[in-house]
Amino acid sequence: MSRYEENLWIITRDNLFALMGVFIKTREVIAPVRGHGGEVIFYPIESIDDVAWDWQYVNAVLPPKRFFLPQTEVMFEYRYDNDYKITPCYDDQVRMIFGIRPCDVNALVFLDRFFGGGSLSKKSPDAEPLFPDSYYIRRRSNTFIIAFGCHQPGENCFCVCCDSGPFLEEDYDLQLTSMNGEYAVEVGSARGLKIIYGNEHFFRMASSDEVKELARIKEDALNKFGDTCAYVSKAIRRVTQAKVDDSLWEKLGERCLDCGGCSYVCPTCCCYNVVDIPLSDKSGIRTRTWDSCAFAGFTRIAGGEILRSDKKDRLKRRFFHKLSYQYIEKNKRHGCVGCGRCITTCFADISMPSVVEAIRRQQ
Amino acid sequence: MKDVYFPDIALIDNIRDETGDVKTFTMRFKDPDIQQNLTYRSGQFFEVSIFGVGEMPISITSTPSRKDFFELSVKNAGLVSGALHSMTPGSQVGIRGPFGNGFPYEEVFGKELLFVGGGIGLAPLRSLINNVLDNRDNFGRITILYGSRTPGDLVFKDEFGVWQEQPNVTMLVTVDRGDEKWTGNVGVVTTLLPKVEIESKKTVAFVCGPPVMIPFVIKDLLNFGFTGDTIISTLERHMKCGVGKCGHCCIGDKYVCVDGPVFSYREMKAMME
Repeated sequence: MSRYEENLWIITRDNLFALMGVFIKTREVIAPVRGHGGEVIFYPIESIDDVAWDWQYVNAVLPPKRFFLPQTEVMFEYRYDNDYKITPCYDDQVRMIFGIRPCDVNALVFLDRFFGGGSLSKKSPDAEPLFPDSYYIRRRSNTFIIAFGCHQPGENCFCVCCDSGPFLEEDYDLQLTSMNGEYAVEVGSARGLKIIYGNEHFFRMASSDEVKELARIKEDALNKFGDTCAYVSKAIRRVTQAKVDDSLWEKLGERCLDCGGCSYVCPTCCCYNVVDIPLSDKSGIRTRTWDSCAFAGFTRIAGGEILRSDKKDRLKRRFFHKLSYQYIEKNKRHGCVGCGRCITTCFADISMPSVVEAIRRQQ
Repeated sequence: MKDVYFPDIALIDNIRDETGDVKTFTMRFKDPDIQQNLTYRSGQFFEVSIFGVGEMPISITSTPSRKDFFELSVKNAGLVSGALHSMTPGSQVGIRGPFGNGFPYEEVFGKELLFVGGGIGLAPLRSLINNVLDNRDNFGRITILYGSRTPGDLVFKDEFGVWQEQPNVTMLVTVDRGDEKWTGNVGVVTTLLPKVEIESKKTVAFVCGPPVMIPFVIKDLLNFGFTGDTIISTLERHMKCGVGKCGHCCIGDKYVCVDGPVFSYREMKAMME
């Protein structure tokens, strides 16, 4: 347990609804809502009635990645009036993400390390070793995280194999867990505690029985994952040592539709393209947009040559990035949080579990 | 701290035609303070913005030993480079950087240096060659071997004479196909290697050129006794961000924009595409 505060709090559903009503008035609240097709997505809410509550869904079809790295983001505006003037377009909106699942929170922590600093290079003598991504950092530091612990894994969930769920031990502001028709509230940060003390009348301290009950709920949730003997570590070793035979990537490459869906739904995928859009002869915007290493054009260089033109090379690249020890060392964890979205999305069944399984079977 | 994604404005002072499709742009930052405080290593690159068109990574071809300006040699090969080629002196572009690791410099003090360039690949080498010549006492014998497809594709021709006149410098030039006026060497750049005297044990080789050239040069250098650590080259990728974030230049666990673009042959061999 590395909770910010050891005390466990309890909030009734009615009080939680009321508290959320307060939050909606003071900041942008992002919550799971049900879309027109019945799917659950993270979306800014205007009323507490919009929320899909945690007993009504397992996880949103898309991670809340876009609130930190939008699919298209304006980086700056340029304007020419005898000289070029550049105006940054920072998003400093104060946000709260309500109902984010532990896997997606762990993905944010992964992105924090990547965008938030930490040297990527040990041998860049004069270059500044730290290149913080101000756009990501601003959004992230202005976003309050209320996570929902998971009692019930979905059919594609494997967070337990990736050390990223079904409950968080750290990296949240508040973590809520459904318990006896109420919510157990764990506090993970100073600003989380501030919410409790600022709204004390909504909360009560949990009894020692309730503390035990939460521990039991967490244990039960783990057991619901059933027989989870994953082979991730085997895949990590083989990918790291380049011991996966190319025939595997060839076989997968024949199936891959290079649609890029895996990258778009993946909460840790964050490669981007940069595109200028002129708005007039003298003004315009620079944007960055999601990109995917699955696309052929991803490695196109001047003159038109494509360096990873073969789908097998692109898949090999993708799983090297997700699994290799070389990247684990940089990012302090492997690049999969077990959310299962690639399983749901990929038409060709090229998901993390299926690739790990294929690597295991390849002797 | 300045945002790594914001370009500074630079002015194009002069444009020189090198070949039919290569131009050298002499630029300086509009803000004199930025220009004055500019430091870089040979082998580093700038991200050059043509606003409304896009951004491209271009290696710096001027030497850090000469102040008050910088130079970029650009082949017209795409959207952004095409837009730059259509610009005139006085035009403004955006510049971010310098980025990347750059060539070893202090590390090769006292060594003999061999430069092997092909086509526009001479651009990053030119930065190091002039830097070395401006600090001549720190280095031993210098050999420059340069080749291009045709005589019309040779870049920095004006400087060949200057380089050749320097004491203890040998420069040989070749073309794949000559024309009626060409009286020099004909053949790929590797055919120049047996024509010069090189003590590989004392020498570090810097190799830049089209991807098709590099493996042949490396093979011959290894035969001449060079090793994975004494062959230095650069990798070409379309680095979109320059700061190890956008993912476009990754090879294995290396970000070419941050960990490179300069790598030793030993490092290159260990990379997984």
